[in-house]
Amino acid sequence: MAKESFDKEIQFLRMLSLAGGAYSRQQFADRLGISVHTYDKTLRNLKEMVTVLQQNLPVEQGAELSEWLRYNYYESADPLLLFLFRAKSLKETESLRLTRLLTALQSEELTAKELHDRCCEQTPDDSLLPDEKTIRGDLKYLEEVGVILRVNEKRPYRYKAANDLIDQLSGDELLDLYDYVDVIANTQIPSVQGYLLRDTLKKALRNRGYPPEATETHRYKYNYHSRILDEAHLYTIFGAIQQRRRIRFLYLSPKKGMNYTSKNTNPLFERESAGVTDSILPLRVVYDHQYGRWYLIGHHARMGIKKFRMEGLTQMEEGEPVEEAEYAARLQQLDKQMENSWVTDTNRTVKVAVRFYNPVRSGANFIRERVEAQGQWGVITEESEAAFLYEITVNEIYEIKPWLRSFGSSCEILEPRWLRKQFIAEWKEIRSYYESL
Amino acid sequence: MNPFEKIFNFQIISRLDETRSLALTSQERSWLKTMLRHPASEAAFTPETLSKLNTLLEPEASIEVGEIIIEKARSKERQVYHPLLRTLRRMIMQNQGMLLTYQIKHGGGRADQAGFPHKLEYNMYKREWYLQWYSTRQRSLMSTKLRNIVSVEAASLPAQQIEGLKARIARLLEGLKESACIQVIPAYNAELSRILSSFSCFDKSVSFDESTGIYQIHVNYMRDDSEFLLSRIRFLGLRVKIVEGKQLKWRMLKSAEMAVGRYGEEGE
Repeated sequence: MAKESFDKEIQFLRMLSLAGGAYSRQQFADRLGISVHTYDKTLRNLKEMVTVLQQNLPVEQGAELSEWLRYNYYESADPLLLFLFRAKSLKETESLRLTRLLTALQSEELTAKELHDRCCEQTPDDSLLPDEKTIRGDLKYLEEVGVILRVNEKRPYRYKAANDLIDQLSGDELLDLYDYVDVIANTQIPSVQGYLLRDTLKKALRNRGYPPEATETHRYKYNYHSRILDEAHLYTIFGAIQQRRRIRFLYLSPKKGMNYTSKNTNPLFERESAGVTDSILPLRVVYDHQYGRWYLIGHHARMGIKKFRMEGLTQMEEGEPVEEAEYAARLQQLDKQMENSWVTDTNRTVKVAVRFYNPVRSGANFIRERVEAQGQWGVITEESEAAFLYEITVNEIYEIKPWLRSFGSSCEILEPRWLRKQFIAEWKEIRSYYESL
Repeated sequence: MNPFEKIFNFQIISRLDETRSLALTSQERSWLKTMLRHPASEAAFTPETLSKLNTLLEPEASIEVGEIIIEKARSKERQVYHPLLRTLRRMIMQNQGMLLTYQIKHGGGRADQAGFPHKLEYNMYKREWYLQWYSTRQRSLMSTKLRNIVSVEAASLPAQQIEGLKARIARLLEGLKESACIQVIPAYNAELSRILSSFSCFDKSVSFDESTGIYQIHVNYMRDDSEFLLSRIRFLGLRVKIVEGKQLKWRMLKSAEMAVGRYGEEGE
C-alpha cells in the first residue's frame, strides 16, 4: 500500500493554529499553494473528524475550526492538534470490522473462527459479510500493532485484547498512571504516543466510573502545542539514522510565503514548485524550547552540515545507505561544530560578556534564577550586590540575542562592542515605538 | 513505529467508545516503558505500583528515538514531578477543603490557611509546579509554588458550599482576563512563522490586512501572564509593537528607557 502522506494536513493545521483567523479562503489557499477547492475539501475532512471525535464533549455547534483550535489552557490540557494522528483514511467496512473484533476480545479469549461467526451475526447485510481470511488478516494487523495478543501456543490460536497494563491496576493506580502520562507527555519530548496513551487511559478511568473532572486537575502554562505536528517526521528520520541511510525531501522554506506545494495531476492547477528537492545524510534532530520548534540536521554532499526546519520538510523518502565509517565521521564533525550552538548555529564563535542587574526589590532574585536556569554553558561571576557577570562563548550571536534582549533593562552587553552598539540602537528604536504615550 | 497507524483512526476510536472498549497499542506501552526511566517516576507512584508497571511492561521494546534528539535553550528542569501532586490532585478531585502551611516570597510563612484547591499548574518556562487555590479568609485566588508548601491537610467542607466556591473561582478567573494587540512590523513579515510561533503558547488569534500587509496578533492572557508576555515581546525586539494594551505599552516604554539608560553617555 502506498504510504499515505499527511504533508498537506500538517501544513494546513500548522497555518490554522499559528495564523488562525488571519486569512480568507482564497488567501489561505494561495499561501498553501493549493486550490480553493482543495482548501474546502481539506477543511471539510478535518471538521468531520473533529465532529466525530468531539461528540461526547460540549462543542458549540458550527464553531469555526480555527476557533476550536485556539489554544486555551484555562479550559483544558487536551492537545487539540493530536487529531492529525487520527486522520489515516480507512474504509467504513474495515473500521467496523476492526472495532467489532476488538470489542469481542475485551473480555473473552476467542479464535479466528469464533470471531468470524460473531462478525457474521452482527452484519445485517449478507453482501458485506467478511470471509474468514479477511478476519485472519485483521487479527494479524491487530497483533502487529499490539492491541491484541495470542494466548496459546498451539492452533487454533485464541486471542484477547492486550489490556493488561490497565486491567491489572487498581483505580488508584490507574489514576497515578494517568497523571504520570499527562505530565510526561506535556513536559517531555517526544510526546505523540504519550498523548495517545493519555486518551486511552482517560477512557479507562471513565469506564471505571471516574467523572470527567477527575482528568482535568492539571494545567500546563506556556506550552507549545504545535510542536506535536513536527513529530510526524520524527520516526521516519529516526529509522533512516538507524539504518545510516540518506533521505530525500522537498524543502519549503518557511521564510518564503508559500508553505505547501501540491503535486497536482491536473495541469491547469499546476504551480511552479516553490521548494527545493534535497538529499542529506540525517544525523540529529534539534528541539528548540524557545519556540517549540524542531530542526533536522544532516550532512549535505556539497554544502557540508545543513539545517532544515522540520515544518518545511515534505515528501520525505529514504535513500541509499552510507558506510558506518562515513556516518560516524559526519556525526563527530557535527558534535564538534555544535558544541557552542545556542540552538543550531554552526558559524564562528563569539565571546559574549554581559552584566545582569539584580532586581532592586528584595525577595526572590528572579533575574539570577532565570540566568542560572536558561544560560546553558555560560559562566556566572559575582560582581557586586547590584550585579553579576555572565560570559559565554557561542556560535554567532543571532540565536542568543533574543534571549539576552528578553531581560530588558536588567541586561547590559559588555562584549563584543559592536553588539553593545546594536543593543543601544535597538532599544532606542523600541523606545520610539512607544514615545507618543 | 508509525504514529499514523490506522488503529488510531478517529472512526475506530469513536466506535470503540460506544462499546467502552479500549485499544492499547505497543507504541503507547513502549513510550511509557521508556518514559518510566525518567527519575520523576519515583515521585509519581508508590514503589509497589512502579514495580508492577515495570513488570507489566517488561516484554515491550523501548523507544530509543531520544538518542537522536538534542534539546536546546531549555530551562533547567527544576522539577517534573512533585511529591505533593498525588495528594493535591485527589483533594481537588474529591472537592475537599484544605489547611495549607507555606513559605512566602519575601521570607517568613503562613500557617494553616483555610482554602479550596482549584488546579495544579505547571509553568513550562520556569519548569515548576504551582497550586492555584482560593483562600477563604482573604477571599481571593492564590498561586503557591509546591516547593514552598510546608504541609497540607484535608479539611471537610459542607457539600452545599462547593458549587458556590467553584462559581466564585470562575468569576475571579474571568476578572483576571486581559487582552492585547501586537502588530508585526511589516519589514519583518518574512519572519512571520517565527514571530507567530513565539506567541503560540498563548490563546490568540491573528488578523491580516492585505492592503497594508499588516498582521496583528490578538492575545488573550491572564493578568499573571503579563510578565511572560512582555518578555516574549522583548525577545522579538524590533519585530513587533504593542498597539493595544495600555499597561503593557507603558511597561515597554519604561523598559526601553531604562535599557538605554544602562549605557550611560554612550546611549545619549
